[in-house]
Amino acid sequence: MTDTQHERSNGSTAKLSMRNIEAGYYAHDLVLDHLNIAASPNKATVILGPNGSGKSTALRVLYGILQPRQGQVTLGARDITAVPPHQRLEFGIALLPQGRSTFPELTVQENLEVGGWTLRNDRQKLAQAVEATYERYPILKDMRHKFGASLSGGQQRILEIARMMVSDPKILLIDEPSVGLAPLLVKQVYEEIAKFKAEQRTIVLVDQNIEAAVEIADYVYTLEYGRNHLEGNHTEFEGKLANLVKEWLRF
Amino acid sequence: MDYLQFVLLTQALLNGILLGLIYTAMAVGLSLTMGVMGIVNVAHSTFIILGSYAAFELSRYFGLDPMVSILVIIPLFFLIGALLERGLMRHVARADSTIGLLILFGVLVILESAAILVWTTDTQVININYGPSFILGDFIIGRPRLYAGIVALIMVGLTYYLLQKTMLGKGIRAMAQNRDAAMMMGINVERLSMIVFGIGTATAAVGGVALAMVFPFTPQDHIRWLAWAFLVVVVGGLGNVRNTLLAGLVVGVTETLSGVLLPFQFVPVVIYSFLALALVVRGQGLAGTERRTI
Repeated sequence: MTDTQHERSNGSTAKLSMRNIEAGYYAHDLVLDHLNIAASPNKATVILGPNGSGKSTALRVLYGILQPRQGQVTLGARDITAVPPHQRLEFGIALLPQGRSTFPELTVQENLEVGGWTLRNDRQKLAQAVEATYERYPILKDMRHKFGASLSGGQQRILEIARMMVSDPKILLIDEPSVGLAPLLVKQVYEEIAKFKAEQRTIVLVDQNIEAAVEIADYVYTLEYGRNHLEGNHTEFEGKLANLVKEWLRF
Repeated sequence: MDYLQFVLLTQALLNGILLGLIYTAMAVGLSLTMGVMGIVNVAHSTFIILGSYAAFELSRYFGLDPMVSILVIIPLFFLIGALLERGLMRHVARADSTIGLLILFGVLVILESAAILVWTTDTQVININYGPSFILGDFIIGRPRLYAGIVALIMVGLTYYLLQKTMLGKGIRAMAQNRDAAMMMGINVERLSMIVFGIGTATAAVGGVALAMVFPFTPQDHIRWLAWAFLVVVVGGLGNVRNTLLAGLVVGVTETLSGVLLPFQFVPVVIYSFLALALVVRGQGLAGTERRTI
């Protein structure tokens, strides 16, 4: 195999990290200020912080939707800073964005097929991947021909997750999965994330639901004004949550 | 209603359906680019008329039947559209939509002027003789009109198939509904935008060929076709081929029926009133083609 193929197929064993990242959305603003994040392979890395601290922005840089002004994003030994978002999936990196991202006027079936876009040249493989996804998320089976927009909020979330999994990505970037969901659904989403962990996938998770996020985390980063603040492993953070929140509320 | 009136109206209906098929062909590309780019491509109609002239030249110099020349015209205009997207539209789509509209209007003026320079404003006609008209009882169907309608229908059908049944089509529709999410699926939205614009241009040109089989044409005609195509798109809704077809048929039949029932100079009045009404009723779905982002 070539280096690229080797790296692509071993996505789960390579470390995804960002080093010294400076990024912003407009010419003058600085959302991320010399940020360093490393996501160890097969582990769940959680990024926490108050509103506006740059958590979602960090994910966007990791996924390539936002190009940093300075710094690098690397996967293993490979510098992927300049790799456009649509090619990151080939490296096994998938993003589950905040908010609604289902295709409203496509059916559930079509949503899943588009999720398998990288498999589109092998029709059989694509069909198999879609069927496997239905097996994993059977609630979608009965809704095959329903339009994305006609599903409930919780169902759309499941569709979004299912769609992401069609291409079987090894590295999952998850942006605020619990926002706008009823507590029962949040529990289900986190159960799914736990399953991903058990499947040895690398997870980078951003969420406002600190308890649930830290519970599942192997390693935690906190951000403050786009800069690294605290970091540590799961046990180091377990007891500190209440204090953390108190600090943030002062902002 | 006496029998003569019945014959006149039904004849108008038949002609209107065939005409409507041509209008659909002209509008399908506009509906597609509007749905995906979120901007009204006012230069769309220049490609319709360039399609007419391309068929005209191919007929004049190579004796090619317009229906055969379509095989050359489709790839040619697809390429033109794709390159235009890459060179110009890509930047237009990002800009403020008013600026985008002005830029496209500039393209319209340039292309129209170029066409006038090359072909002058003389009215042209493609001389084709397909044989005698079909006679069904008291109804007459001219062959050029029938064939043009069939060509249009086939093209619309193929576009429908492309958009609904192929992965490329699903990717295009996904991109139109949520561009950022489409990117996350691994879709190369820049490449796909080129393809969409290429399809829009190619279908416009085919519409122009069908048009040229039935009507005489001059470069300045395109403005009228822009209004007609726009009407079909407004009535039919964006990006939906089947609805565009229904709308096209409605517009075609409205035109021919009003041509029978009213003095001919009122036909544009009817159509433009229809357009105004349609915009009032359906307009809000257009200006802000809901651009969803993540």
